[in-house]
Amino acid sequence: MDIKPADGRTTSSGTTHPARTLDRRSLLRGSALGIAAMAASPLLAACGGSGSSGSGGGTTVTFGSNAAVPQPKGAYETLFKAAHTATGMSVKPNWVDHNTFQQNISTYLQGHPDDVFNWFAGERMQFFAGQDLVSPVDDVWQTIGAHYTDAMKAQSKGKDGHYYLVPFDYYPWAVFYSKSMWKAKGYEEPTTWDEWIALAKRMKKDGSIPIAFTDKDGWPAMGTFDYLNMRMNGFDFHISLMRNGDKWNTPQVKAVLDQWRQLIPYYSPGFLGLTWQEGAQQLLNHQAGMMVIGLDQIGTIFTGAKADDLGFFAFPEIDPANGQQAVEAPIDGMMVSKSPKNHAGAVKLLKYLGTAKAQQLWLGSNPADIATATGVDASKYTAPQNAAVKLIGGAKNLSQFMDRDTRPDFADPVMLPALQKFLNSPGDAASILSNVDKQAKSIWAAGG
Amino acid sequence: MTAPGTLPAAAPARRSRKADRARGDSPAPARIALHIFLAGTCLVWLVPLLYAFYTALRPYADTARRGYVSVGGHYGTGNFSAAWVQAQLPHYFWNSVLITVPALVLTLWLASMVAFVVARFRFRINIALLMLFTAGNLLPQQAIVTPLFKLYQLVPLPQWLAASGKLDDSFPGLILIHVAFQTGFCAFVMSNYMRTIPAELGEAAVMDGASVWRQYWQVILPLCRPVLAALATLEFTWIYNDFFWATVLMQTGANRPVTAALNNLTGEFFVNNNLIAAAALIVAIPTLVVFFALQRQFVSGLTLGANKG
Repeated sequence: MDIKPADGRTTSSGTTHPARTLDRRSLLRGSALGIAAMAASPLLAACGGSGSSGSGGGTTVTFGSNAAVPQPKGAYETLFKAAHTATGMSVKPNWVDHNTFQQNISTYLQGHPDDVFNWFAGERMQFFAGQDLVSPVDDVWQTIGAHYTDAMKAQSKGKDGHYYLVPFDYYPWAVFYSKSMWKAKGYEEPTTWDEWIALAKRMKKDGSIPIAFTDKDGWPAMGTFDYLNMRMNGFDFHISLMRNGDKWNTPQVKAVLDQWRQLIPYYSPGFLGLTWQEGAQQLLNHQAGMMVIGLDQIGTIFTGAKADDLGFFAFPEIDPANGQQAVEAPIDGMMVSKSPKNHAGAVKLLKYLGTAKAQQLWLGSNPADIATATGVDASKYTAPQNAAVKLIGGAKNLSQFMDRDTRPDFADPVMLPALQKFLNSPGDAASILSNVDKQAKSIWAAGG
Repeated sequence: MTAPGTLPAAAPARRSRKADRARGDSPAPARIALHIFLAGTCLVWLVPLLYAFYTALRPYADTARRGYVSVGGHYGTGNFSAAWVQAQLPHYFWNSVLITVPALVLTLWLASMVAFVVARFRFRINIALLMLFTAGNLLPQQAIVTPLFKLYQLVPLPQWLAASGKLDDSFPGLILIHVAFQTGFCAFVMSNYMRTIPAELGEAAVMDGASVWRQYWQVILPLCRPVLAALATLEFTWIYNDFFWATVLMQTGANRPVTAALNNLTGEFFVNNNLIAAAALIVAIPTLVVFFALQRQFVSGLTLGANKG
């Protein structure tokens, strides 16, 4: 800035308003300085940051985690410390909150993803494996294969037969209840549909809400649909419906919704406006008798001294041909990105994470999940956790939950509102299904 | 009003009736309606805020047991301190500063240059140029996210500027997109404002031998302080509140701004709404600070730009 002419000009007017001229000039000079300082600050900050985060390869493995909330985050931190001792690999986590991570997975994997990242089994894994955005982990499975059941192995493979996922923790969906409430009232676990309805009727007469069903979030209803479909039409029909989306407008699916209508009178009043947490609270407060939900959710409500009060039974049998063989058990695990900076380190880390020891360390006192690997010390589990192990161990087939078993662009955008619409006006089942069928066909036709 | 003295008898009578009204003996129904409307609107805007504050004062266990619409249980500021620590708010506030301040300064600076040229000089495409910038304002951000994301991945940045080595997942990338989107609106408002500054000022400067740069930097820009302050308030709020670009273009969780950090309090399934209410209230404070700091200029700046354009 050339100052001389500016001075010459300002003094002429400055004689009358010295304060104002000074003010204006200092403002200008200040703002120029400010611009320079502000423009430089991100560069400086980025510079400082790159020193610590730019390191890749060697003994560092980057880990994209969807566990930014304190509870699982602390458990992961403990786990990574132990992993460092066991494998010599120091894990550098990138914490992102669960929902953002999930919704941005596509951009995340196409951007510059971390070496290892949290993900899910089932179609959700196969979808990205099919798009060639992740690396196979067959070499990891050569070591950890012995720790896993066949049902678990099947859930970890892509459509090409290669392994893509190392399962870490999972939990079952079932019908949950409060043991103390049932003991006081003398209720007994039903195993068939008729027994279940009779029990619900009795609870209603006793003045409580028979089934705490809450569907403001949308996804809880999917669990009931999955179970009804698997019990009535069998596991294979259910999985084929989820994967291929071609049989929505059939008598079989229509029958599922008709069966569902029998349950609706026993649901919580105003259930479409209640979140699952409010439903779980009804169970905890003994206002409601039962709830179809996952252990991972309800386990966070029944905590501490209440943990062992949580009981559950398998979703009742409807067709004896299908019995209660299939269990809905969403599996969470880890995958390796397409071109990790430290592939050898990622393999080492996953071999460690695929052990019961690592998984139990992570579980700690968390009563809401169970370890996927075999050989866990069951004495450290709570009563519901041990019951969950038994339930899943006896299952012939594992499903992953609707939003993990079917296409991501179909589950939430189409099925979630469709089920809510059905629950709101059960009489419209036929038109809702034909609408779902149309959308499914166009989505599968467009996305291959 | 009639001239005093022409109707000596009527004038005092009329005046006293008016005085009565002003004193509130029989206020005009329109005025009552206005105040009811204002109070109602005020309430509609304040209730969610007060409700959030009330919720934030209560621990989760109490609201879970009694419901959110209830009185009783414990009250305290525990949620605020927990949110501050758990969501690592200081760290994310700093990220927001790193994104918002450079974006704000660059936007205002570039927009003021565009506005200066468009408003103070007559040439063939000057209206077209202004329309181009204003039209850019109407472009929906979501429409260009995919090509932009792909583009960002192809632009390399030196390692010292971005750890990712790409424009994607970097601070400069986010700053750039904010500058690109906000310049249109700022240029439009500022050019309207600059048109209100008498042309003689520029002519006098030319007579004194001032270059175009000096007309801009030393004559026009200092007069634009009100509009700059008004735009700074608005733009600060918009850029600071951005969640869309911050989540799409920034994959490193630790580099996201404070709006994204709020989500770090939400679990996979479990949501502690009391804690989130507390964090949201804390995060809203900077916009209030900026507004109150620039309030005087904000009002005068907006009205000046609007009715003299």
